[in-house]
Amino acid sequence: MTPPPLLARELRKDYPMNGVTVHALRGVSLRVDRGDYVAIVGPSGSGKSTLLQLLGGIDTPSSGSVEVLGTPLDTLGDSELTRLRLTRLGFIFQRFHLLPVLTARENVELPMAEAGVRRAERQGRARELLEFVGLGHRAEHRATQLSGGEMQRVAVARALANRPAVVLADEPTGELDAGTGQEILDLFRRLNAGGTTLVVVTHDDRLAAEAGRVVHMLDGAIRD
Amino acid sequence: MTGVIWGLKNLARQPLRTGLSLIGIAVAAAMLLDMVMLSGGIDQSFSDLLLRRGFQMRLTPKGTLPFDTEATIGGVSEIVAALRRDPAVAAAGAVLGTSVYGRTPDSLVTLFGYGIEPEAQSLYEVTGGQDLTSGDSSGVVLSEAAARLLGASVGDTVTLVGRLDPQVVTAAVGRRLVVRGLVRWLYDYRGQPSVGTVLPLMQSLSRQAAADRASLILVKARDDRAVPQLADRLRQRFPQVEVNSVADLVAHFRERLVYFRQLSYILGSMSLIVAVLLIATLLTITVNERLGEIATLRAIGVSRATVVAQVLAEGTTLTLIGAVLGIALGLVTARYLDAILTSFPGLPAAFSFFVPRADTLAFAALVLLVTGALAGLYPAWLASRAPIAATLRAEAT
Repeated sequence: MTPPPLLARELRKDYPMNGVTVHALRGVSLRVDRGDYVAIVGPSGSGKSTLLQLLGGIDTPSSGSVEVLGTPLDTLGDSELTRLRLTRLGFIFQRFHLLPVLTARENVELPMAEAGVRRAERQGRARELLEFVGLGHRAEHRATQLSGGEMQRVAVARALANRPAVVLADEPTGELDAGTGQEILDLFRRLNAGGTTLVVVTHDDRLAAEAGRVVHMLDGAIRD
Repeated sequence: MTGVIWGLKNLARQPLRTGLSLIGIAVAAAMLLDMVMLSGGIDQSFSDLLLRRGFQMRLTPKGTLPFDTEATIGGVSEIVAALRRDPAVAAAGAVLGTSVYGRTPDSLVTLFGYGIEPEAQSLYEVTGGQDLTSGDSSGVVLSEAAARLLGASVGDTVTLVGRLDPQVVTAAVGRRLVVRGLVRWLYDYRGQPSVGTVLPLMQSLSRQAAADRASLILVKARDDRAVPQLADRLRQRFPQVEVNSVADLVAHFRERLVYFRQLSYILGSMSLIVAVLLIATLLTITVNERLGEIATLRAIGVSRATVVAQVLAEGTTLTLIGAVLGIALGLVTARYLDAILTSFPGLPAAFSFFVPRADTLAFAALVLLVTGALAGLYPAWLASRAPIAATLRAEAT
C-alpha cells in the first residue's frame, strides 16, 4: 500500500516567549492523501502556519511526528531534509518571496538547478510551467517588474518545478486583491484537477470553499 | 552554480553601495600592492642596478662600502693586474671618485669626477657621442647636468680643475679636455653633475696619481655561480681590501633600509585588514537584509552549501574586481611615489623603490583573493544558519 503524501501524528509545538511557554500546537494529527485539496482555516494565532511549517519540514515539532511519503522527517539530517523539501514538497508563501534579481523563468528554474536538472531540460520545463500559469509572455521579466498576482503565479510555477508530491501554500491570496486572488483560486482548482495534492492555509472563505476538505483550527488544535 | 549566479546578480541590487565598496577595496588593494612592491622592490632594484653591466663584485677600502667614504685603495694597478690574470675573472677595472671643478666663463662649478678604465667600467651608459677609449688622456664624458652647468656639448672643449686650495681659490692643476660623449651615470642622484675621464687623468686632478689610488675596483667573474667562492678567494688574496659581492651589498643595503620594509609590512597588513573589514561588513549587511529571502530559499530546498556559495561568490567577485582596479591604481600610485622617493638626495636616480613584477602582482592578488574569500566566511555562516521557520514568521508579521 502506498504511503500517504503527508501524515502527522500528535504534533505539539511549544515556543518560549518572554519567559512564558506558548503552546502553538496541542496534539494535531492529520492525514493528507494523494489528490487531496485540504484547506486549513482558523483565526490568527490558531496554529495554522505552524502546522504547515511542521508538515513541510521547515520547523521541528516539540513532540509528535510527520511523515512525507512514508519517510519520518525526524529521521533525516539537515541535508536530507533539505533535499526532501526540494524534491517532494512545493511551497507557496503569502509574500511570494521570489528572488528580485532573477527573471520569472530563472526563479522557476532555481529549484530545478538546485536539484541538478540539466539546463535545457529545466529551461523547457520552466517555460511550460509559466505557460501553465499564464505567464509565458512574462518569462524574461524580472520579479520586480511583475504585479502581485503575477508574482504569486510565478511562485506557483516555482513550487511545481520539481514535480512535488504535495504543494503547501500559506495564505496564498493574503496579499492579493479579490480579482487577482480569484486567479490563484482558479489555478489551484486546475492543479488539483490535474492530480496535484494541495494543503492551503487560508483566511479566504472562497479558497476554503474550493477545497475538498476543510480543517478548522482553534487554539493549536483541530476543532472538529 | 546556482548560488554563484545568484550571488553575482545580488551585487547589482545596490549599485551605489557595491560601487563604493569596490572603490574602498581597490584603494586597499592598491596600497597592498604598493607595499608588496616596496618590500621586495628595493632589493630587486638595487641588485639589478649593481648587475646592470655584469660586474658581480666590488673591492673597496677595508671596512667601507662603495663611495661610502673618501677612503681609497692603494696600489690599484698591481691589484687590477693580478685580478686580470686570474682565470676566474672575466674583467676588472679601478674607479676613482673625487671632487673636481669645471671652469665656466665667470666661475668654477663643483663637479663629481669619476676616473675609470674604459675597458672595464660599469658606471655609465653612453646616451650621445662616443665612449672614452683606453689611454684617451684628452677626452671627457659628461652627465646631462654637468653638460648644462658647463654649457658644453659633444665635441666642445671644457676645462677641469683639480687640487683646488679653498683658502686662496687657486688650482694647482687644470686640463682642457674634449667632450667625447654624454652619459647617464647609473649610481648618480637626480641632477648630479658628473664627469668621467680615464683613471690616470682623474688621479692627476685629485692628487692621487703618485699613490696609484682608487675608490673601488670592479670585478666581473666568468661564472655567476662561482661568485661566492671567488669572493672568498679574493678576500684571502687581498686582505687589505673589502670584497663585496652584489649579494653582500644588497644585504648591507637591506639593513640600512630596514625601516622601509617594516613600514611596508605594517601598511600592507593594515590595508589587508581594511579590505577584509569592508568586505565582511558589506556582506554582513546584505545578508541581514536578505535573511527572509534566504530563509525562503532554504524552505524550498536550497542547500546550505548553495547559500554559502552565494555569499562567498559575492565576496570573491567584489575582491576580484577590487583587485583588478587596485592593481591599476597601485601601479599608477607606485610611479608617483617612486618619483618622490628617488628624488631624495644621495639616492641613485636609476633606482626604484617600487618594482612591478609578475610574481609581485600575482602574490598581492592571491593574498587579496584569499582574504576576500575569508572575509565572506562569517556572513556566509550567518546566512546558512538563518533559522527558517522563525525568520519566515518574522517576515510574515
